[in-house]
Amino acid sequence: MAPRIQSRRVSSTLLPYLGPSLSTSIPSLPSLPSVFSTFSRSFSATAPSQSKLRREMFEWLDGPGSELKHHKPNRTNYVSQYRKMIGKEYRDLKQYPFPENPTFISQSILSLPLQNEIYKRVVEEKQTVREVSVTFGVDMRRIAAVVRLVELEKRQRSQGKPLALPYARAIHEMVPTTGIARNPDQQKMHESINDLPMHPLTGAQMFYPVPESRSFTRVDAGRVFSGAPAQEHKIAEKWSSPHHVAERVPKRPHLIELVGKGDNARQVLQPADARIPHPQLIALERDLAKYPDEPLLVEQRHQDRLRDQAEAEQKQREAAQARRERKITSVSPQESRFDYRIKEVAFTTQTTGRDGRAPWAPGRRYGVPSDDRKRGMRKVPTRVEA
Amino acid sequence: MRNRASNSLSRGKIRQSWSKYNLFNLHRYRVPFNHNRSFFQQKWTAKATARAYHGEQVRESQWKRMFSHRIRSVIPMNPLHLAADDGSRASAGRGSGLEGDAKQPQITPYTQMAFAPLERRLDVAIFRAMFASSARQARQFVIHGAVTVNGQKMRHPSYLLNPGDLFQVDPERVMFATGAPKNKYERRESRQLKQKDAAEETVNPEAEEKVGKVEKADAKESSRDNLQALVVQAKSILSRGKNQLPAKRKQELRGFQKAVRRVLSRSDRSTILTDSLEAQFSELTLLLKTKQAEPKDSKAEKPVPRPSEVEENEAVPGEVEEEPFASDKLSEAFQQAAQGEEVDSSGLTKHETFALKRALAQMHDNPLDSTKPYATPWQPREYMSAFAFIPRYLEVNQNICAAVYLRHPVARPGLAEVPPPLATRSAPRPTAGT
Repeated sequence: MAPRIQSRRVSSTLLPYLGPSLSTSIPSLPSLPSVFSTFSRSFSATAPSQSKLRREMFEWLDGPGSELKHHKPNRTNYVSQYRKMIGKEYRDLKQYPFPENPTFISQSILSLPLQNEIYKRVVEEKQTVREVSVTFGVDMRRIAAVVRLVELEKRQRSQGKPLALPYARAIHEMVPTTGIARNPDQQKMHESINDLPMHPLTGAQMFYPVPESRSFTRVDAGRVFSGAPAQEHKIAEKWSSPHHVAERVPKRPHLIELVGKGDNARQVLQPADARIPHPQLIALERDLAKYPDEPLLVEQRHQDRLRDQAEAEQKQREAAQARRERKITSVSPQESRFDYRIKEVAFTTQTTGRDGRAPWAPGRRYGVPSDDRKRGMRKVPTRVEA
Repeated sequence: MRNRASNSLSRGKIRQSWSKYNLFNLHRYRVPFNHNRSFFQQKWTAKATARAYHGEQVRESQWKRMFSHRIRSVIPMNPLHLAADDGSRASAGRGSGLEGDAKQPQITPYTQMAFAPLERRLDVAIFRAMFASSARQARQFVIHGAVTVNGQKMRHPSYLLNPGDLFQVDPERVMFATGAPKNKYERRESRQLKQKDAAEETVNPEAEEKVGKVEKADAKESSRDNLQALVVQAKSILSRGKNQLPAKRKQELRGFQKAVRRVLSRSDRSTILTDSLEAQFSELTLLLKTKQAEPKDSKAEKPVPRPSEVEENEAVPGEVEEEPFASDKLSEAFQQAAQGEEVDSSGLTKHETFALKRALAQMHDNPLDSTKPYATPWQPREYMSAFAFIPRYLEVNQNICAAVYLRHPVARPGLAEVPPPLATRSAPRPTAGT
């Protein structure tokens, strides 16, 4: 009788070439204990020395562990699923790669069609990153990364460089993925896009007495955490609502008040409304509550807001670029292989220290060894320019 | 640095590795029973376990320099809630506790994030992106110069990635690290092929001239076998020595090789290797033939054949070889497709056309090739799926084996992004004796 083979679901990575070489690696079901299978000295009566743990391991790998040998297309295959669980804290075992750690789950990755769709929308349809981020529930930084990676992939394909296509197919079968829904209304959000980073200032526990009659908002709480004095009544009337702050601050960040003097000056902690990546969604929700019967008006206002925001961001980017360029003169002589970027340096107490030999001072100075000559200095680069 | 990360079963340490020993250790690991142990003993075990997994390749002084007690976390905000309330309601404190909000806020697992700074390391990030089968292997890739960061070669495994850095590993290395290894027969086969090639080269020094002659012949007229032989010759000549051939001849040879490939394969950018084409083709027809023959035999039992059954049938080699080629039309169509001609798919069923398309596509990107260091066609290595996860702080493109480090790992309510194999459920308690 021919050896019986365990039936498995077909993986698209293996389909055309399921030859005899693969079938040998599929474990046959009725297997002998590994002690006997590894028994090479047929004339000797003594069993080969194998530790108890090693024997247990091979027994487990041949028994319950054999489920883990090959991946199961389009579902995860972790150890947790084959371990008896005591207690009810494990909600859905197929998400947990580590059976003893319920705080880590295997989260989904973007499927290949979704990556290509994101690239298409941003590059070809010229949608803003913000829009695409809200449509698919993907973080804006991730969108930028996807565009960058798909662009690189296209370039490599056109150059005929080697790609790891079967590997990519296998990974996308093993790891949970977020795909595109046929109906755009049912699109599953990939991740939470409005994450508020926990500010270190808010870690402190504070007791701040407030009169009952006073309306103490998120703006005031931020001021208390950063140790800013209470606002004057006139200004407070204008600025105490977090929604107002959220509308103005992203457009004019230089208006944020500073606390402290000199090097210790810090910006006052802003309310969550101004610090989340998509503040325009709050304004949209407020409009929806305010004008429940006028969806067109709400949409119009939302679009206006998006446009203003994009313009303001663009203006800020340009200003920053101009500021950077103003500091640096670039010289590209003819017949030269190099471009020179020259930065103006002033020799003052601030730039070189009181004795003119401060470690941060520019250029080479007599008696001050360069960093790579000093003991204990790291020579590993700290950044690589893209 | 010496590799102390052995897969010892007696110590049972969990490592950043996909080996089956590690899998067994992970399977049998239990949180130690601490009630009769001193505080020092508890700390000792906890540190040993954590270090074995996270930073076995990192010296203690390095870790001390990197450690930060300020752990990053985020709170997902709901714009609906932010729009409804400006915070004054919560601060008024009236009626607290009266609302029947049964859902308790989840705890942010800060303790799980203690080793977050190590996730910035290049070698660890490569392992997390699933480009290497262990952190040690990732480290080796970096040291051997197979990794670029932002397009520049980076040889320091301890390079700390900055948000936005794009790192890329050589796809061949990744396929080797994640693919099933060759068995001893395949190894011997490739060794023999290599020896044969070397012997042919030494015997046949005039091959260069031969190719030059046949180059002029019309490619379409010559048979398929001839074409393949030509490509092999051209390849061997090209790979022989840089100084032996003038540059112009080399260009001609390359152009010739390209032209033949274009005939043999459907698309120009395919990486198909022609010497293995025949073998693939015969295997493909075998598979398709069983697919067609199967429903005829067992119609009464199973009206709808599942794909797994096809596999079972195919995996029994004796049965298959006895039968003659059943699906001539399909093999014809495949031949046409492989030679870059128009495919006549009129005689094929829908199922067959689909199989043909898929097989052709896969044949192009997953060819049989004995020169590769891994078993071909490529398959994922065993027990890989048990370790397969990609954390959210990385965005990975597997096709080009590149990934972007988006941001530093963060904790959020109920979830940590750093994957330690064990969780601290309760703080260690000192026993009465200490």
